[in-house]
Amino acid sequence: MTIAERASARPLAVSGILKDPILWLLVSIVIVGAATSPHYLSELNIQNLLRNAALVGLLATGMSIVLITGRIDLSIAANMVFATIIGVVVTAWIGREFDVRWIVRGNTFVGSPVVFIAVSIMTGVAIGIVNGIGVAYLKVASFIMTLVSLTALRGMGYLATNGAPFYLKGETFNWLGDAVLLGVPVSFALFIILVAVTHFFLTCTTTGGRLYAIGGNETATLYSGIKTKRYIVTAFALSGFFATVAGLVFTARLKSVEAALAQGYELTAIAIAVIGGVALGGGTGSLWRVLLAAVTFAAGLNLLAIWGVPTWYQNLAIGAVLVLAVAMARFQYKSQH
Amino acid sequence: MFSSTRRAALRGTISAVVLMAVQGGFTVAAQAEGVHDTLNGLIAKYSEQAKQEMSNKSVSELFEKDGFRDYLDVYPVGELAEGFVWKPGMGATFTGPYSKLEIKSPFTDYIPLAEGPVLDPNKTYKIGFVFHGFNHPWLISLADTAAWEAARHPNVEIEVIDAEFDDNKMGQVIDTWVAKKYDGIVLWPSREAPMGPPVDRAIDAGIPVVSVDRRTSSEKISSEVLGNFYANGLQEGLYLKEVLQGGNIVLNRKDLGSTADSIRTGAFLEVIGNVDGFNIQGNYHTNSQRQLAFQSTADALQAFNDISVSFNTGGEEAMGALDAIREAKRLNSAPDGKKIVILANDDAKEVLKEITDGNIDMVSPYTPLIGDIGIRAVIKHIGAKEGLNEAPPKLIMTPNLPMITKTKMTIEGVETMTPDEWPYAYGPAVN
Repeated sequence: MTIAERASARPLAVSGILKDPILWLLVSIVIVGAATSPHYLSELNIQNLLRNAALVGLLATGMSIVLITGRIDLSIAANMVFATIIGVVVTAWIGREFDVRWIVRGNTFVGSPVVFIAVSIMTGVAIGIVNGIGVAYLKVASFIMTLVSLTALRGMGYLATNGAPFYLKGETFNWLGDAVLLGVPVSFALFIILVAVTHFFLTCTTTGGRLYAIGGNETATLYSGIKTKRYIVTAFALSGFFATVAGLVFTARLKSVEAALAQGYELTAIAIAVIGGVALGGGTGSLWRVLLAAVTFAAGLNLLAIWGVPTWYQNLAIGAVLVLAVAMARFQYKSQH
Repeated sequence: MFSSTRRAALRGTISAVVLMAVQGGFTVAAQAEGVHDTLNGLIAKYSEQAKQEMSNKSVSELFEKDGFRDYLDVYPVGELAEGFVWKPGMGATFTGPYSKLEIKSPFTDYIPLAEGPVLDPNKTYKIGFVFHGFNHPWLISLADTAAWEAARHPNVEIEVIDAEFDDNKMGQVIDTWVAKKYDGIVLWPSREAPMGPPVDRAIDAGIPVVSVDRRTSSEKISSEVLGNFYANGLQEGLYLKEVLQGGNIVLNRKDLGSTADSIRTGAFLEVIGNVDGFNIQGNYHTNSQRQLAFQSTADALQAFNDISVSFNTGGEEAMGALDAIREAKRLNSAPDGKKIVILANDDAKEVLKEITDGNIDMVSPYTPLIGDIGIRAVIKHIGAKEGLNEAPPKLIMTPNLPMITKTKMTIEGVETMTPDEWPYAYGPAVN
């Protein structure tokens, strides 16, 4: 069985999920949370937790797709903010062309949400494609290429906004950032749907299988006649897409966007992907486990916040869990091979 | 409810300013009415002049380009709450719970609250205090004063969280406190826009919220304890105009769009905007980082050999600029062999030492010792909610503080203080 076949053929079995240490970690966190705080399982707190899981999970999903190909996307958080900034700027410009004022007093954006979302997604995907072209065709190391993108996007964000925030007003932002459907925040529902679709794409389509194959053994994949470059670009484009959706969820919650937001979120995305079992070397990883890791990560952080643990201990805990997850993944890999 | 904007202050104070100027009684008046009102009068005067005309092309171009007017017009300037008059020497002395340094906090008598149990003595009140930066001396001092005030009241429990300059994390902390049904929240927001929605959610849940120093975009917020950014920039301009009538200026500014940058730099430019001899030679954003200020000043020193003034929006920037100037051995490299005038904000002890040594020329104090006001205000809001007392005003202005110079000076009615006379400096002592 080839690496691609092995990766793509991995079914979502209930027994497999129950053996998953992340699931047990999540269950443990929830039990401890419920036992130690009357607020942990309150509806409001669970919604907060799921919203946070959606944000970091969307970023981690995009990151995972790139990691599966054996690359990394450090520009993901910068892209998330920049794409939404460009969404506002371009939509406002379009409005002006049609004599409609979509930036009103106090730098408040009141433009068409459809145009804004479409422009944002196009921008995020375009940035992903540029990253992919740089990595695949120009042979720039993904670490360098996306680090350069990160810096450039942060700078361009300041140029596009002149350092000032855009306030986002409208029902669409309220719905995306605050609304709940059957007790589940809209952002988390969106996250689950996108993970389901992308999981299907990765595991049930030829293109998805080839992304795993490239990460497993790129040379072998190339020699088997697969044009690897276009798939690498596809992976970065998907990363850009997920970054933008994360940006829409993020800015809808804050009802504003500005250049300086979300600094360092790319590291959180990497951490969740790794906790979810995505190999930094590429070739393996399941988006369901990334979803589980995102919820576990958010649940753990939320528990520490409920306990009033200072943030530096929270960071320490994240680091410890990360090391533990990597060690366990390594142990599992060895025991299976 | 007290409410005041800069426009309101202009209307209210300009007539008094003109009258006092005509009478030539500024210094005497300043002592009688307190430095707060004197500085507000000067803010009104220079703002009005800048609105009518800004003859200096270099200054006006920058003023227009960065849109300072938009920020200055909405920044509140006004009277102190409850008719409070601050005088040098006021305030309590204690050891900071976090910094372990001795602190003399200037405003502990402002919106006063007696030591001991507050409100219903049989209840315990939980207050969350969220800010950024346990790694920054200014912000540690802010947290020190908040924790000190909470500790004075045995039935108040405070939880202090550092959101590490992540606005989203600060929002999550507030959401968690809402879920935990805290009685009150005090926050130091880094940026205005992203903190409005979490504050609104807390207010909607019936929890009073007070911001200190910086503002949020929330219109529902219970109270805002505001700093004196306007007086800071104004005094940098007043001092410069007093000692020089022209020269090239290099600006080390904070983040573009931040309140501290918009108001301090804007107020500075308003004061020098009608002095034709000044020229903005370099304009850098060094984002409160000493290393970036060092680098930008070093670059400017390489590029220009006739810098007369280093304007800095913060103490960290001023120290970085001074380090670069010293390293280049250019302290006395202004035209005609004069010293480069270094203007600073934030009265850290190391900045005051440099003033004593004659290296930095002046500093506008911007004290972090205001966290206690936030705690007292939120307790009073909780009390108002329970029908036990009146709510404090929505806008709680902190008193304007006079600039500090090496030797005593009187500039347009403002009597400066010397480092020896200033007990409120924060941060670790420097030998």
